[in-house]
Amino acid sequence: MIRASNISVRLSGKQVLHGISFEAPAGQLTAIVGPNGCGKTTTMRAIAGETHYEGNVSINGHDIARLKPWELALKRAVLPQATVISFPFTVREIVRMGLAVGGADRPEEVERIARDALEAVDLAGFSGRFYQELSGGEQQRVQLARALCQIWDPLENGEPAFLLLDEPVSSLDIRHQLTIMKLARDFCSRGGGVVAIMHDLNLTAMFADQMVMMRGGRVEAAGSPKDVMTDEVMESVFGCPMRVNTTPSGTVPFVLPHTAGA
Amino acid sequence: MHPSEMAVENGQRRSIAVRMKESWRAGDRSQVARLVIFVLALLAVVTFFSSIMTGAADASVGNLLRWLTGTETAEQALSLRDRIIIFDIRLPRAVLGLLVGAALAVSGAVMQGLFRNPLADPGLVGVSAGASLGAVLVIVLGSATFGPLFAAFGFYALPIAAFLGGLATTFLLYRIATRSGHTSVATMLLAGIAIAALAGAITGVMIFVADDQQLRDLTFWGLGSLAGASWPKILAAAPIILLSLAVVPFLARGLNALTLGEAAAFHMGVPVQRLKNVAIVSVAAATGASVAVSGGIGFVGIVVPHVLRLVIGPDHRFLLPASALLGGILLIFADMIARTIVPPAELPIGIITAFAGAPFFLWILLRGRSHMGL
Repeated sequence: MIRASNISVRLSGKQVLHGISFEAPAGQLTAIVGPNGCGKTTTMRAIAGETHYEGNVSINGHDIARLKPWELALKRAVLPQATVISFPFTVREIVRMGLAVGGADRPEEVERIARDALEAVDLAGFSGRFYQELSGGEQQRVQLARALCQIWDPLENGEPAFLLLDEPVSSLDIRHQLTIMKLARDFCSRGGGVVAIMHDLNLTAMFADQMVMMRGGRVEAAGSPKDVMTDEVMESVFGCPMRVNTTPSGTVPFVLPHTAGA
Repeated sequence: MHPSEMAVENGQRRSIAVRMKESWRAGDRSQVARLVIFVLALLAVVTFFSSIMTGAADASVGNLLRWLTGTETAEQALSLRDRIIIFDIRLPRAVLGLLVGAALAVSGAVMQGLFRNPLADPGLVGVSAGASLGAVLVIVLGSATFGPLFAAFGFYALPIAAFLGGLATTFLLYRIATRSGHTSVATMLLAGIAIAALAGAITGVMIFVADDQQLRDLTFWGLGSLAGASWPKILAAAPIILLSLAVVPFLARGLNALTLGEAAAFHMGVPVQRLKNVAIVSVAAATGASVAVSGGIGFVGIVVPHVLRLVIGPDHRFLLPASALLGGILLIFADMIARTIVPPAELPIGIITAFAGAPFFLWILLRGRSHMGL
C-alpha cells in the first residue's frame, strides 16, 4: 500500500499542495482526478519520490525518503506524461531499459518479458521501429511497456509493486484507452497496485476502485466513484453544474458534458 | 574442401548474417555493435603498427616485422637510428594518439549523454578552452608564481592544472545550462561560447606577458599536435586518462536511462546526481589530461560518437567502448597524415581534425536540424 500523509509541496515559493493524505492499497486502482492545476502531477511526483515534500510517503510501510533509487525502482514504476528523447533508440531498446532495473538476468526471460510487454500495450511487431518516428500515443504506450517491464511480476519481491501513471490514456484512441485501463486492472488483480492521474471521469468511473478528487492542492473527496461522483462534488470541484447519471445496471456513474448548465 | 562441407560452411555463415539481420530488424543492435567493436579493435592494432612503420624517415618494414615476429631481437633487426626513431619518437606518438583519441571521443560521448544532446562536445562548449587556460597558466606563470607547487607536482602540474580548468568550466556550464532538471541546449552552447571567450581572454593576457620561448610553446601547443610526444608526457597523462576511461563503463546504463530524462532515470533506479557528478569529473579529467599533452584537437569528440550512433545505435554500453577505439584510430591516422603530408615538416594535427571535422559537423547540423530541437 502507498500511504501519503499530510504532504505539502512548495514550488518556487508557491504552496502547491496543502497537506494531502490518501491511501492506495494493493489490488486496487486509485484514480486521482480534478481540474487543471489542482496539483495532481505534483502529488504524483511526491509519491514517486522525485520532488521535495513535507509530510510522509510510504510504500508497503517503507518511508520512501529512506530508500535508495534502485530500491525504490523495484517497488514502483512511473509513466510520465510525455517523454521526448534525443537519441535514435529503437522501441526494443527503450523497453529493455526497464528490464535493466529488475535484474532479470536470464537472456531468454528478458526477451520474453520485453515481447510480452509490447504485446500487452498492443505494440507487437513495433520492436524494430525508431521511438522518435512513432506517434504520441504510440510513444506513450512504449513508455508504459517500459514501466511494466520494471515491475513485470507485481509480487516478485514478496510485496506488491505499484504502477504510477500520469494521464496514461490522454493521447490514446478509444480502443487503446480501454486496452490500457484493462491492463491496469489486470495488474491490480495480479496483486499490484495502480495510482493513475485521470481526466476522463467516465473511464475512471468504469475502472477505478477509488477516486481521489482534488481541488486547489487539497483532497476534496475520496472514495468509490459512486460516492465521489455526485452532482454536488462535480459542481464544487469543477465549478460547472452537471448531472451525474448511472448506467442501466445502476453501478457505474457517468457524466455527460451536455448536461452542463449554460 | 568437399562441396557439401562448403555448403554447410556457407549455410552457417549465412545463418549468422541472417540472424544478425533479423535481430537488427527486431530493434536489437547489440550483435552488430559487438561485431563493430571487434572489427574496430583489430583496426586499432593495424593502425597502431602502421603508424609505427610510416614516417619521413623510413625504418624498414621488413626489419620491423622480423623484430615483431620475434625472429630477431630489436638490436639485431634495427639500426640504432631506426631504434631511436621507433621507440623514442613514433611509439610514444602512437601511444599518445591512442590515449588522447580515446579520451576525446569518450568525453564527447559521455557529455552528449549527460546533456542529452548529440551536439555537446568538450571542445564546442568551452571545456577544452578552460583546460587550455589551466595549462597556459602553468606554462607561463609556472616556474615564477607557482614555483614550489610546480616543483612538487613535476610532470603532473600541467595535466592537473588542465584538469582543474576543465572541471571548473564543466561545472559552471552545467550550473548555467541546467535549471530545475532541464538542460537547455541553446543556453549550453551560448554559455559555452561565453566561457570559451572568457578563458580565451585570460589566455590572451598570458600570451601578452609570455617570453619568446613560452610563446613558441604556446602557439604549437594551442594548434594541437602529438609532435611533443615523449614517455614522460605519457607517464603524466596516461594515469588520468586511463582512470577516467575505466570509470566510464559504469556510467553506461545510467546514461541510457538519462536519455528518457532525469526524472525517468530516477524512476528507473539511477542515482542521477551521483551519475552526473562522476560523468562531469571524468569528462573534465580526460579532456584536461588530453589538452595538457596534445593541445586543442577538435571535433574528435563530436564526429566519432555521431558516426557510431548511425551504425550501432545510441546504447552507451556499446557506444562508449566503440568510441574509445574509433577515436584512437582516427587520431593515429590523422597524425600519420600530419607527419607525412608535407615532409620533412609536420602539420599540427588539430588543423587536420578541424579540416575534416568542421564540414562534417555542419553536415550533422543540416541533416538533423528538424529533430534536434535547436
